[in-house]
Amino acid sequence: MAPGEKIKAKIKKNLPVRGPQAPTIKELMRWYCLNTNTHVHFQKLDFPAVTICNINPYKYSVVRDLLADLEQETRVALKTLYGFPENTSRKRREAESWNSAWEGTRPKFLKLVPLMAFSQDETGEVRDFLTGRKRKFSGRIIHKASDAMDVHASKEVVGFQLCSNDTSHCALYTFSSGVNAIQEWYQLHYMNIMAQVPLEKKINMSYSAEELLVTCLFDGVSCDARNFTLLHHPMYGNCYTFNNRKNETILSTSMGGSEYGLQVILYINEEEYNPFLVSSSGAKVIVHRQDEYPFIEDVGTEIEPAMATSIGMHLTESFKLSEPYSQCTEDGSDVPISNIYNAAYSLQICLHSCFQTKMVEKCGCAQYNQPLPPAANYCNYQQHPNWMYCYYELHQAFVREELGCQAVCREACSFKEWTLTTSLAQWPSVVSEKWLLPILTWDQGQQIKKKLNKTDLAKLLIFYKDLNQRSIMESPANSIEMLLSNFGGQLGLWMSCSVVCVIEIFEVFFIDFFSIIARRQWQKAKEWWARRHAPPGPQGQDNPGLDIDDDLPTFTSALRLPPAPGTQVPGTPPPRYNTLRLERAFSSQLTDTQVPPES
Amino acid sequence: MHMKKYLVKCLHRLQKGPGYTYKELLVWYCNNTNTHGPKRIICEGPKKKAMWFLITLLFTSLVCWQWSVFIKTYLSWEVSVSLSVGFKTMDFPAVTICNASPFQYSKVKHLLQDLDELMEAVLERILAPEQSYSNATRTLNFTIWNDTPLVLIDERNPHHPVVLDLFGDVHNGSASSSPAPGRTCTAQGCKVAMRLCSLNGTVCTFRNFTSATQAVTEWYLLQATNIFSQVPTHELVEMGYPAERLILACLFGPEPCSYRNFTSIFQPDYGNCYIFNWGMTEKALPSANPGAEFGLKLILDIGQEDYVPFLTSTAGARLLLHEQRSYPFIKDEGIYAMSGTETSIGVLVDKLERKGEPYSQCTMNGSDVPVQNLYSDYNTTYSIQACIRSCFQEHMIQNCSCGHYLYPLPHGERYCNNREFPDWAYCYSHLSMSVAQRETCINMCKESCNDTQYKMTISMADWPSEASEDWIFHVLSQERDQSTNITLSRKGVVKLNIYFQEFNYRTIEESAANNIVWLLSNLGGQFGFWMGGSVLCLIEFGEIVIDFVWITIIKLVAFAKSLRQKRVQARYAGPPPTVAELVEAHTNFGFQPDVARPGPEPGTYPDEQTLPIPGTPPPNYDSLRLQPLDVIESDSEGDAI
Repeated sequence: MAPGEKIKAKIKKNLPVRGPQAPTIKELMRWYCLNTNTHVHFQKLDFPAVTICNINPYKYSVVRDLLADLEQETRVALKTLYGFPENTSRKRREAESWNSAWEGTRPKFLKLVPLMAFSQDETGEVRDFLTGRKRKFSGRIIHKASDAMDVHASKEVVGFQLCSNDTSHCALYTFSSGVNAIQEWYQLHYMNIMAQVPLEKKINMSYSAEELLVTCLFDGVSCDARNFTLLHHPMYGNCYTFNNRKNETILSTSMGGSEYGLQVILYINEEEYNPFLVSSSGAKVIVHRQDEYPFIEDVGTEIEPAMATSIGMHLTESFKLSEPYSQCTEDGSDVPISNIYNAAYSLQICLHSCFQTKMVEKCGCAQYNQPLPPAANYCNYQQHPNWMYCYYELHQAFVREELGCQAVCREACSFKEWTLTTSLAQWPSVVSEKWLLPILTWDQGQQIKKKLNKTDLAKLLIFYKDLNQRSIMESPANSIEMLLSNFGGQLGLWMSCSVVCVIEIFEVFFIDFFSIIARRQWQKAKEWWARRHAPPGPQGQDNPGLDIDDDLPTFTSALRLPPAPGTQVPGTPPPRYNTLRLERAFSSQLTDTQVPPES
Repeated sequence: MHMKKYLVKCLHRLQKGPGYTYKELLVWYCNNTNTHGPKRIICEGPKKKAMWFLITLLFTSLVCWQWSVFIKTYLSWEVSVSLSVGFKTMDFPAVTICNASPFQYSKVKHLLQDLDELMEAVLERILAPEQSYSNATRTLNFTIWNDTPLVLIDERNPHHPVVLDLFGDVHNGSASSSPAPGRTCTAQGCKVAMRLCSLNGTVCTFRNFTSATQAVTEWYLLQATNIFSQVPTHELVEMGYPAERLILACLFGPEPCSYRNFTSIFQPDYGNCYIFNWGMTEKALPSANPGAEFGLKLILDIGQEDYVPFLTSTAGARLLLHEQRSYPFIKDEGIYAMSGTETSIGVLVDKLERKGEPYSQCTMNGSDVPVQNLYSDYNTTYSIQACIRSCFQEHMIQNCSCGHYLYPLPHGERYCNNREFPDWAYCYSHLSMSVAQRETCINMCKESCNDTQYKMTISMADWPSEASEDWIFHVLSQERDQSTNITLSRKGVVKLNIYFQEFNYRTIEESAANNIVWLLSNLGGQFGFWMGGSVLCLIEFGEIVIDFVWITIIKLVAFAKSLRQKRVQARYAGPPPTVAELVEAHTNFGFQPDVARPGPEPGTYPDEQTLPIPGTPPPNYDSLRLQPLDVIESDSEGDAI
C-alpha cells in the first residue's frame, strides 16, 4: 500500500464524521471543516407562527338556534327601518301586523337595547321603532362617529340607547349609517348570548382544522391538521396556529422563496356565514412570534377567496435599550398590570389587560372579546343587566386615555417584526379549475357533502423572500468607560493630571494638613496637660543632693568610687569590616570597569 | 567567567543609575518614572507607603481592566449604521415580467399528450374508482407511469398499511391482490403517495402527501420536468410566450416603449421572461421624478386560456424588480399581478452597504466563495441565491450524475431524464430533502456586501372599468393581430404601473464603530485618567522589565558558578564535614571540631560540657574572616551595597 493511500485510509478511519459524498480526501476534509464549524453564522431563519382564522366564527347552521331570536328581531328592525326585504308596498301593513304579533313573544333584545331612529335637526325627538311612537328623549347623545365628522343634518340617524342601572342616566349612541348601527347592535347582543355558552360547545360549533385546511405544504413536505394548534378567539371562532412551539420544535427555513414556505388551501365555506355579524368573506392570517398572542382583530391580513395570496416576509428584529435609555420593559414584570393573556408581554396585551381589569373593577364583569381575569366572568344580561352602558362609558374613557392605561403600559424592549409584501393572483386559473376542484373535493372527503366551488377556497403562500435579516439594535452612545477615558484625555491634555494627582491634592490639603494641625494641637494639649497635672515639686528643685545625670549609673558611679587610675579597659580593636574594603574594590572596579585578574 | 563579565558590562551600559539588585531597580524606577503613583510609594512613611502601594495597585488593575474592555470592544468589529432617506434621480429598477405559465399549451400539447392522458386517468381513478374499469380500453403510455407511479396507501389499519397501485389491475395484477375493497377508500382512509425507486426498482421510498392535490401536482411536475429536460432550449423558447404576445403596451414616463426594449431570458420555471432596463447592453434609464406619471406603465396579456392546465393552477403575471445586471430569481422574490386589475407599485429603493471582512461575512463579488457560479453565463453579478442554486446543482451532479432541469447546467453535463438516468427522481428527492446538503450550501455561500431591495407598496383596482372595457379590448386586440374581433378578455389583461415613491431611496451604510484611533485615544484616556501615564511610561516599564531579566540572568550565572565551585571544593581529601562543622566553621574561628569524643553518655549533661566561657569573646563577624578574593567578589556582586 502506498504511503498516501495509507494515510488516506487512516484519516478515513479516524475521522469522527464521514462525509456522505466525499470520494477524495480533499472533499472529505472540506466536508468535515464545513460541518463541524459552529461559529459560522447560520443563515437559517426561524419560521414565524402563522395563525389562520376564518372570518366567520361559527357555522351558522349550528349556531342558528342560539341566535334565532336575535336574527328574527334584526330582520324585523331592518324591515321597519329600511323596508328590507324590498316589498315596500306591504311594508306598513306588515310592520303593523308584526307589531300585533309581538303580543305573544316578547321582543327581549329590542326591549333591552332599543334601536331608535331620529332626525338630527330636531334633537330630543326620538322615534322608538318598536312601538312606532315618537317620544322625547332627554339624555346625552353620543355619536359613535367622531364629532369631527360632519353628518348630514337632514338625514335620519339610527342609534340605540344604553342606560345605567337606575335608568336615570341614559346615553344614545348614533351612527351615520344604519349598516354600522345594526352591526354594532347585533354584535352587542351576540356577545351577550355567546358569553353564556361554554367554551367546549363553542369550539365544537366552529370549524375544525381538518375542515379549514384542505391541503398544507411546508418546505416541500406535507403537513396536516396535526401541525396546527387550536386557539379559540371570541370573535373569530377557532383559529389555527402553525408552527407553535407548544407541540414541537420551531420550524425554520434555510431557503427563501414560495416553495420553501407554507402553502395552504383554505376552505372558506361562505354558505355558513353569519349574515349580520360578518359582512366580508375570506380568512384572516397573522404572522407573529411563537410566544406572542395573535391580535387577529387588530392586526391581520385578510385573504380573499378564489385567489392565491402570496405573502413574502422580511424579518426585522429590534432591540431597544431599557432603563435609563428608554422607557421600555424587558418582560413586563415591572409594569403594574397583570397579564391576563397566556403569552409574552407586549404593549397590546398590556392595554387589553388593563382595560379588562378596569372593566371587572367598574362593571363587575369581563368583556367578551378578551380573556377572563381570575375570579371574573363574562358579562351577560342575566347577571349584569346594564353592563353595556358601563362598557361603552368605560370604552370612551379608555379611548380618551382617561383610564391611565396608556400611561402605565410601556412598550417591549425587543420585538420581531415581519414586513409583509402581499400580492394576489387568480386561482385556480380558468383551465386548471376543471381538474383542481374535484380533486380538492376528494381531499376534503367526508368533511363536507357538497362539491367545492372556487369561491369556497383560498390559497395562501407565506414564505421568506430571502434570508436576509435586519437587526436594529440600540447601543449606548456613551458608556462609563468612554466617559472616564474622555475625562482622562482632557485632564491629561490640559493639566497633565490624573486621579493620582487628585488623590495627592486631597492627601496634601486634607489629610496632611489636618494631621499637622492635629499633631500641633495634640502637642499643645499634651504640654498644657503636663503643665497642669505636674505641679512644680519644691523638694525636687531644692534638693542639692540630686544629681541629674544623663548617663545611666555605672558600677563605679553607683558606688561613688573614684575612677581607678591607669586602668584601661581592654577595648575591642576597631573592626575591619569587610564591606569597607569591598567598597573600595567596587569603586575601583567602577572607575575602569575592569575586573582585576583573579588570583 | 568571561560570560558573566560581559553580562555585567552589558548591564552597566544599559543603565548607569539604577543599581544591581531588584530592590534598587524598583526604587530607582519608582523615583524616576513619569507614571503618577509609584513615586509616592517610596518617599513616604510606612503607613502612607502601604496606602500608596494599594492605590497604585488598584489603579493599575483598573487600567488593565478598562483596557481589556476597550480592546475587546475593538476586536468585536462592531459597525455603526448611518441611514439616509430622500429622493434623488436614480436608475429605474430592472423589471422582469413573466407569465405564470411557462408555455403555451397549444404549442406543447404534442409533448405533454401522453402525460396529460395519464393524469386524467389518474384523477379518474382517485375520484371515481368504481367507474375506472369501464374505460380501461384507453391506451395509456405506461412507460412514464412505471418510473415513478402514484400509489394509494390505505391507512385504515395503522399497523398494516396496504399499498395499492392506482393502475395495478390494468397492466399487472401483482400489486393489488384484493383490488375491490381498496378502491373505495376516501381521503380519510387513504393517502396518495409517490413511489420513488432506484437501482432498477429494488430500493424504493414513498413520498407521502397528506392531500391528493399535492401528490398529483408534484407528480405531474416531476414528469413534466423529465419531458422538458430532453427538449433543446431553443425549442422551449419557441414554445413559450413571445414578447409581442405578452407585452401589449409599454410607456416609460412620457416615452413610448415596446417589447423590443425588453431583454428576453429563458427561465425553466416560467418560460420566457422579459427584462426591462436590465442595463446589460445599454445604459440604465434614470427616473428623475416621483409618481406614476414618470414610471413604467405596462399592459400585458397573460392568455389564461392557453395555460398548461396541470402545470400551473395560479393565473397571473409574475413580476420582479431587481438591480441592474443581477439575475432575476423570480420564483423566490417575485410577486403576482392579477388579471383584470391594474396593479400600482410604488417603489422605495432600500440599499444596504455592508463592510466586508472582518466586520461581517460578506463578499464583494463572490470571487472568494468556493462555489462555481453557474449563473455567470448570463454575465450577472453575484448573489446568494445564485450561489445556493449553483451549489445545489453541483451536489446534484455529484450525487445523481445529472443536472436538474430548473438550474443552469455546468459545461459538459446533462439534464436528468428518465431514459438516461432512471434513478434521478429518487436521488433528487433525497437530495432536496436532505438538511445536511442545504446547510453545506448555506455555509459555503456568503451574502453579498451590497444588497439592494425594492420595497413595494402595492395597490390594486379593477381594470378596465366596465365603461371603458369595450373600446380598450377592441383597440388592444386590433393592435395585436390586426383583426377586428376582440380576442382579449378580462381574464387575460394585466395593467402595471411601477413608479418611484416620494422618497425613493433609503440607504443604510455601515461604518466601523470603533477604529484604531478610537481605541488609542480611549486607552490613553484611561491610562491618563487613573495614573497620568502615557506611551513613554510603558516604554519605561519595558526598560525595567529588561533590566529585571538581565539581573536575573546575572544571578543565575552567579548561582551556577557557585554551584560549580562547591563541587570543586567537595573534591578535598578526607571525610566530608558534618553540617554542624560547616556551620561552626563559618561562625567560630576558635572552634575545634571535637570529633568522636567518647564521652560517657554524651548528651546527658550538655550544660556541663558546654559551659559558657565568661568574658566577651571576640566579635565573630563573618566578614572578618579572610576569604579567597574570588569568593568575596562573587558575594559582592550578589548583594553588595
